[in-house]
Amino acid sequence: MSWIAKIGRVGRIVEPADDAPATTVAPPTGVGGSLQLRHVDAGSCNGCELEIAGAFCSVYDAERFGARIVASPRHADGLIATGVVTRNMHQPLLNTLKAVPEPRVVIAVGDCACNGGAFARGYGVVGSVADVIPVDVEIPGCPPTPAQIIAALRTVTGR
Amino acid sequence: MTTALPDSPTVPALDKALPAARRAHAQAVASGSVTAALGVLGVALGLSAVFGAPRHLRIGWLLPLVGVIFDLGPLGGFFVAATGAVSIAVGIYAVGYAQREHWARFPLVMLPLFVAAMLLVPAAGSVTTFLLAWELMAAASLVLVLSEHHRAQVRSAGAFYAVMTQLGFAAILLALVVLSAAGGGDAFATIAAGSGGISGGTRTAVLLLTLMGFGSKAGLLPLHAWLPRAHPEAPSPVSALMSAAMVNMGIYGLIRIDLQILGPGPHWWGLTLMVFGALSAVFGVLQASVATDLKRLLAYSTTENMGLVTLALGAATLLSSYGARQVAAMAMTAALLLILAHAAFKTLAFLGAGSVLAATGLRDLDKLGGLARRMPGTTVMFGIAALGASGLPLGAGFVGEWLLLQSLIHSPHENNTLLALTMPLSVGAVALTTGLGIAAMVKAFGVGFLARPRSAAAQAAREAPTSMMAGMALAAAACGVFAVAPAALGPLLKQVLAALPTVGGNEAGPALGAYLRLPGIPGSMSPGLIAVALVVAVLLALGLGRWGLRHRPAAAVVPLWACGADSLSSKMQYTATSFAEPLQRVFDNVLKPETDVEVTHFAESQYLVEKVTYRTLQADPLEQRLYTPVVRAVTTWAQWVRRAHPGSVHLYLAYGALGLLIVLVISR
Repeated sequence: MSWIAKIGRVGRIVEPADDAPATTVAPPTGVGGSLQLRHVDAGSCNGCELEIAGAFCSVYDAERFGARIVASPRHADGLIATGVVTRNMHQPLLNTLKAVPEPRVVIAVGDCACNGGAFARGYGVVGSVADVIPVDVEIPGCPPTPAQIIAALRTVTGR
Repeated sequence: MTTALPDSPTVPALDKALPAARRAHAQAVASGSVTAALGVLGVALGLSAVFGAPRHLRIGWLLPLVGVIFDLGPLGGFFVAATGAVSIAVGIYAVGYAQREHWARFPLVMLPLFVAAMLLVPAAGSVTTFLLAWELMAAASLVLVLSEHHRAQVRSAGAFYAVMTQLGFAAILLALVVLSAAGGGDAFATIAAGSGGISGGTRTAVLLLTLMGFGSKAGLLPLHAWLPRAHPEAPSPVSALMSAAMVNMGIYGLIRIDLQILGPGPHWWGLTLMVFGALSAVFGVLQASVATDLKRLLAYSTTENMGLVTLALGAATLLSSYGARQVAAMAMTAALLLILAHAAFKTLAFLGAGSVLAATGLRDLDKLGGLARRMPGTTVMFGIAALGASGLPLGAGFVGEWLLLQSLIHSPHENNTLLALTMPLSVGAVALTTGLGIAAMVKAFGVGFLARPRSAAAQAAREAPTSMMAGMALAAAACGVFAVAPAALGPLLKQVLAALPTVGGNEAGPALGAYLRLPGIPGSMSPGLIAVALVVAVLLALGLGRWGLRHRPAAAVVPLWACGADSLSSKMQYTATSFAEPLQRVFDNVLKPETDVEVTHFAESQYLVEKVTYRTLQADPLEQRLYTPVVRAVTTWAQWVRRAHPGSVHLYLAYGALGLLIVLVISR
């Protein structure tokens, strides 16, 4: 039973979080501290995906602020979209947005999603995410760090 | 039958077509109604024999020397009534089916004849009459299997069926001849009276031979191979008659000859029946759960159910031989209930499969689907049949299987190693069978009828005509009665049980009331109450759901979620093959499937795949191991014998002379 004692000795090893930032948008479900997100890669270089994975991993642990990545848009309160919108992903992005129940929130992660970034006006590119669907929160950076992503998510979850 | 019409020069084609269609209609109605009328007659006669006095009839002039003797007792009456009931549903169904499938005149004539022959078998009162009726039944069914003889598969199935049914007949013939010689008479009553004097060796020989002959008719292992061949290839009403009524005759033969006439045998009789029954049940359901042909699946399910019936018969015999007569009566009741339930749900299932076949031309489950929208009536009917076959509560087969399990569990096995060993093993076999049976039926119903159509033919399916629906509705009603109110069968089963003293018949069987009570055993069950509770629960859930929704805004209509793609395709669904794949993997050693994956690469690079071909063949392993060597050996011998037939007249004359010489020498 020494491991139980060890848990007691070690305690929580998560760094204390700062105070919750001011909210940018009201939580779509009307309840703070719960934000279920479906991730769509609209044509990203996967840099943002790595940082999102970092944000939800055990070191940064975005879930302690109430944000979660879910498997189906039917379970989600919003979309988290990365990358510039390519022609192939244009319709699937619209379909996925339609599949998320309203009211919903759309979060664009990374420079490509916000304004096209390095790939703006490319031959296979439709535009930024904001050009295709209404975006509520933008997280700039190429790629944004996990800390930046979490800071932005906290403005929606309200924690 | 043809009516002379005045020549009409303007529309000759129409004039010819109309009477032809009307004639086909009239012929179908005649054939179907005669079949159904025979069925009604069978039910009436059967019930009167069960509840009234046994009926005797002797027609001396019909067969030389012995005459034809009919002797319908409660046991025969039970089977005649069951066969008659199946025939009513099939007769009504056949009116629509024969027109839709454009049956020729020959099968239309043979259908009522087949029913008549089947009704004669349990009514036969002597060895000669029994054999005559049996052979009539076999021949009529063979002709009906060959209705669509222009297809090669039908001819192959017909040949297989003919050989197996004749071999079975030969075994029965030998057994009954031996029996009648030892029993000192032709009539069953005479043999039964003198059966005490039959020696042990003769009894054993008769039992083994009848087990072979009747077992092959009932589709028991290892003589089941004709079922999955003949049932799929026969027209569906014929499949229904064969699977729901004809296989019962095998069981009837076992009960009548071995249990009723030969009387109580040694312990190993019951044990043998149980072993064959359990093996057939498990093997049949295993094959059914991996079959992709709808009618082949149903045929294997017949093997499964007849296996369960035989298991119950064996349990009754074994328990009775150890003196546990009350539990034996319970097992026997289970066997009779299972026979009736199987007749009802298998009729319905084959008729439903026939509607699907007539509407789509398909039996392959991998190409069906989406029929619930297009054929709602047939879907509901097949659902009732599938529920019955899976042995779940509210299904027709549930009460019988419950009773069988109760009798196996409650068998008294103190100080009896044999019972202590066989009964738990049998419980395991029945449990495995039921579990796999549910998987098979979920597959047949879910893949075949729900979701989206997997082919253009399934897409274009249309609902069956009224007479076909009426035939199915009749069978469905029977399924409902067996599932919810088995109490209605109580008096019937009691009478039949009383006619079977050797398997605990004179003991009080289980009381089939609103509550199913087992005498001397703390166990009871009420299928009617289960049904009422379920209906109340569903209504309650619906009502509460409505009540909970009353303040919600109106539901929004959004497109289906197809993982971002524009629409779902039928290729995203489970197929019958993929549904059964885990089972196939688990039972790989028994099933021995042949799978073949072939990957074709582009010529430019072996890292790029052009196409992948997947082929799987689920043959019957028993058939391949057991039958192929026999067929090969027979072919080899036939080649040898053929050398003696060179076609020379001189040689044949010499054979004749030689034969005559031998006869003369012997009888000198």
